[in-house]
Amino acid sequence: MAARPATPASPKNVKVKEPAPGSPLFGCEHVQRLFNQGQEIMNHSIGHYKMILRGIFDSTPVVPQTFTNSQGQPTTCLTSTNLCLQCPTNLTDEERLKHGNKTSHRFYIDSRSGSLYCQVCDDIVWDPTLEELRVRKIGTGSFSGRKRKHDELFPDAMKEDPRYIATNTTLASCRANGLRGIYNAGATCYQNVVLQSFLHNPLLRNFYLSDGHQSSECGVSYCLSCAIDDMFQDFYALENTNGYTAANILSGFWISENKAFENLVTTREQDAHEFFQFLAEELHERNGDGKKPESGSEHTCNCVMHQTFYGKMQTDTTCQNCSGTTHAVQSFLDLSLGLESLVQKRKKAVKEKGGNAPPLTLIDCLDEEYIKSDKCDYRCHKCDSIQQARRLTSIKRLPNVLSIQFKRFEYKQGRHDRAASKIDDPVSFPLQLNMLPYTHRVRAKEGREGRELERSCTYDLLSVVVHVGEIETGHYVSYCRVGDQWFRFNDHNVRLATVSEVLGAKAYLLFYIIRSLA
Amino acid sequence: MDATSGKAGIIRASDDDGTMTKLSAAVLDDLLYNIISDLVLQTHREEKIAKANTAAIRVEKLASEASESGTDLAPDVRIETDAAIFDDGKVYLKGNPLKTTKEILCPKCHLPRLFHPTDGKGARKPDPTILYCKKHPYIDKPNCDIYGQMWQGPGPGRGKKKKDMEKKEESAADRPANVLSFPSATCSKCKRCILVTRLNNHMGSCIGNSGRNASRAAAQKMGNGNSGEPTPPSSQKVTPAPGSRATSPRKRDVSEEGEDESESSHKKKKHKSSSVTSNPNPKKVILKTKNSFKKESNGSTLPKSSSNLSQEQKAEYDIPDLGSVEVPPKKSTNKASSPAKKLKAVKAAQLPATLKNGRDADGESESSGGTLSSPPQ
Repeated sequence: MAARPATPASPKNVKVKEPAPGSPLFGCEHVQRLFNQGQEIMNHSIGHYKMILRGIFDSTPVVPQTFTNSQGQPTTCLTSTNLCLQCPTNLTDEERLKHGNKTSHRFYIDSRSGSLYCQVCDDIVWDPTLEELRVRKIGTGSFSGRKRKHDELFPDAMKEDPRYIATNTTLASCRANGLRGIYNAGATCYQNVVLQSFLHNPLLRNFYLSDGHQSSECGVSYCLSCAIDDMFQDFYALENTNGYTAANILSGFWISENKAFENLVTTREQDAHEFFQFLAEELHERNGDGKKPESGSEHTCNCVMHQTFYGKMQTDTTCQNCSGTTHAVQSFLDLSLGLESLVQKRKKAVKEKGGNAPPLTLIDCLDEEYIKSDKCDYRCHKCDSIQQARRLTSIKRLPNVLSIQFKRFEYKQGRHDRAASKIDDPVSFPLQLNMLPYTHRVRAKEGREGRELERSCTYDLLSVVVHVGEIETGHYVSYCRVGDQWFRFNDHNVRLATVSEVLGAKAYLLFYIIRSLA
Repeated sequence: MDATSGKAGIIRASDDDGTMTKLSAAVLDDLLYNIISDLVLQTHREEKIAKANTAAIRVEKLASEASESGTDLAPDVRIETDAAIFDDGKVYLKGNPLKTTKEILCPKCHLPRLFHPTDGKGARKPDPTILYCKKHPYIDKPNCDIYGQMWQGPGPGRGKKKKDMEKKEESAADRPANVLSFPSATCSKCKRCILVTRLNNHMGSCIGNSGRNASRAAAQKMGNGNSGEPTPPSSQKVTPAPGSRATSPRKRDVSEEGEDESESSHKKKKHKSSSVTSNPNPKKVILKTKNSFKKESNGSTLPKSSSNLSQEQKAEYDIPDLGSVEVPPKKSTNKASSPAKKLKAVKAAQLPATLKNGRDADGESESSGGTLSSPPQ
């Protein structure tokens, strides 16, 4: 269907969404009656619905929020108006009934959410066909499914047959939902928080649960990827609600011969961020092209870790003498954001001006790192000498899961010793993050294209790792989102968390997931 | 624009306020209205879709019963309930599912969903005569996790007196079923059974290079020049001395019931003999969904099919309360009680035994190693 070139003029007949077992065909009897009046009416209704959705989600909200009042004057309001499904009219709640009685148009679309109101039911109706269009529009910005891409991913059509799936798979219990704690095996909470954020990462979960790495077919002894595979199985297939004992991961960790992380492998509490880097490299080696990821290189790979976490950033260095610019691109696993200079700056400002400085935000840190340029010394090839240069780092390719580290732990170089210290200042972070300003495409066009670009750069918060307490005696906890509900993971203990609790936490690591996979 | 409030009418300016005050009150009020309406809309969506699907599941079930009793898969089966019509293999709604349908059936196991948690905040006693879907609302109760579980505090540490031992034995015997103890796991190298809280230290000495001597050497190396190592060389506590608890540097946590610390040596021997593994289910279960590559992360904006209502939001839907505390026994869950479940039952039979009532089996195997007492229940 989608493989055909979708010309807007093609007189394509729209069809009602094929219902899955256990769901009705229409949202209500009245939608059913409307759609059963004939193909032409259905084409028109669905076409008009799409047009209205485009108006709501692709352009400024002013247009759908403006209606003509009883005196014939255009009025704009903040609250929802009602867009008639059958004619180009926009009405207030009061006018809606009058219009319905006059024209017998019974369906209206909420101008803010795009949901359908049925006047006969006097209720919002969630029609499967129309709702699918709305959800797609919000999610990806287009109405067509990614059917073609999907076919390429799964060339074996037989395997998509529900009967094939039914006979070759087992249905997990309704209780197996991936929500379990992980026991602390003695100062391993830094591992637990990273494992929990992996467990609730939809991309990693789908990879492992769809046999991305089969522990039964892997010959590597003490393979960490197998241990992770087993962990996913235990979390999503067993009914057990008791904590999980990550024994195999721990032994894989101990046996690992990754030289770069030699210092990490101790019985002591370690840095969760370093463990995350360790796991990322280890899992890349098990699932990827076998090449060691070199830091600073533009290394890409098709492995699950690279597809999930790795992005690329570009550093433009402009010579102040000859204005020649060089670009350097390197891949990154996470964005490390410094806090110290910003915290100092704030303290200074408070001292000078008095009053309270607003709390530091994630946006401040990102602005500092990826919008402002800094000066550096640079050996210019053109000038053939060392010159002052401006250096600007921006993100060239955004990852699917963006991980952010706040540099809370700093080594201070003293006169005699280096002492580690922790910056405990709160940094506020949003539930939704727009990364467009930090990409090198920031100077994009305004309007529709800009909106689409912005949509493709929008991230949702997925999990938060928090370090509580002092640097010496601290403890790690994490928050992960499952659907819209947040949970707090403290080793083996899992409990419900409110959004405000999550957003009030003093985050150390943040994981954001992209809203629409392009 | 001389209204004193917006659509919600919560934020009001008084009549003799200036235009600017009135305007800002109206704007703020409208924004509040929008926030509330978004929340209500989201809940409405989850609830109404779940109920519409429930109506569809019910009528499909009746239809399959009807066609099974007669000729195989009669195409002209027409079934009508209060909420839906099944006609020619398709389901049509009748009326508003919010009014016609009272309960919500799980789309996966077709059992009714429990609306209220069984314990803690907003708890209600479930009807003991009804077999509910195993996906229960999460429990919000202090000191408990989302399943209402608690963990036994750490036993007396090393060097304890006999008195303490006896006391512990006692508390373990009559501890309630929802109090779990820390399990043991097998070390993958020496195959010994180690209490989970000691596992890292054990592996350090068993696998790692941080055996007694290695760690001392390393500590010495790092210790030279009063290094910036943030942690004291605590790997030396591989063999903790009596009273090491007080000086143990890395004991975490602010709020948790304490855990960890060492086990007594004679206990270890016992673990060895009981030899418990932490993973009793070697058979693999694959969850394959049709859209396994599609992503489901869009939680905050993309509405989902599953109802994520919290207990408070659902509080208005009553379930009959017959006043008994008992929850239906877990075993019966796997029995195919209705014809519609027959297909599923066949599948369930192929599952390894541990998965079928995995909770019970696992609970025992994991906890029996952790304490010396009888398994829970």
